[in-house]
Amino acid sequence: MALRIIFIVFALLSLPANGQKYFTRSGITEFEASEKAFEPIEAINESTTAIMDLSSGIIVSQVFMAGFQFKNALMQEHFNENYMESNQYPKATFKGKLDNFSLDDLKSNEPIPLSGMLTIKGVEKKIQTTVSITQDQSGLSLTGMFAVNPEDFNIKIPVIVQEKIADMVHINLNYQLVEKK
Amino acid sequence: MVVGVVLLTIVGFSTYGYLFSAPTKPADANPEFIGQAQEFSYLVTDDLAFWVNKVVELTGEVSEITDDGILINGTIYCQFDDQTILKTITKNQRLTIKGKMVGFDELLMEIKLSQCIIP
Repeated sequence: MALRIIFIVFALLSLPANGQKYFTRSGITEFEASEKAFEPIEAINESTTAIMDLSSGIIVSQVFMAGFQFKNALMQEHFNENYMESNQYPKATFKGKLDNFSLDDLKSNEPIPLSGMLTIKGVEKKIQTTVSITQDQSGLSLTGMFAVNPEDFNIKIPVIVQEKIADMVHINLNYQLVEKK
Repeated sequence: MVVGVVLLTIVGFSTYGYLFSAPTKPADANPEFIGQAQEFSYLVTDDLAFWVNKVVELTGEVSEITDDGILINGTIYCQFDDQTILKTITKNQRLTIKGKMVGFDELLMEIKLSQCIIP
């Protein structure tokens, strides 16, 4: 796991020198797993790190479980201790690439296909989604949404609360990237 | 009878409070570590898992100020909820901050603290 991340870092560092990199330390990652008529199950993480290499379209990101803030203390405790086991698996990572990315894609408002590997609780799964990326003076704005099934990542939901938690968890991304100097 | 009702009310309210209370803000929690940022970096290198989710109070030199936080000693990133505080901070100043350690960022090689305040 650690080796893989070091490898990713080196892979990014060894990209051509003219490759502009954009990054954020405070990307917003939200998830929502509410069922209608039950208490909302949602949390927000405002300290996601994401790095994007503009020339290759490679995106890597990492989100700390301890950074997810719930409205309810007990829910936050259960999330960390029972569901995510965040002591053992403190973070989730994503490593992916925008398909056939070119700088012209930033000018159009078309969604850009993104595929890559999402790792949660040490389990890797391929994710295929689309994101919107727009450019302005301050940098790049990356937004997107996809859904995952907790079962795919060995997240066991006790039968007693199953009807309160949605089968699919929706994940929202909103990263404001600035140029890395 | 009256005692029963009173007891039931107390139990009811405390259960409700327990089930629906908001998470404790790092600002209100007792820090698990108070001291130099540099020393804290060593401690984290030694036992990362222990420090995740712990509230700490660190003193160090401000090496960078960004849109929503500061970098201390070049290796500890502290994110502030209240970004107006950042305007009062100057680069290279010595500063004490309090916040929740969320993890070690291997992409940027930084320790990350969130919900920071200046105590």
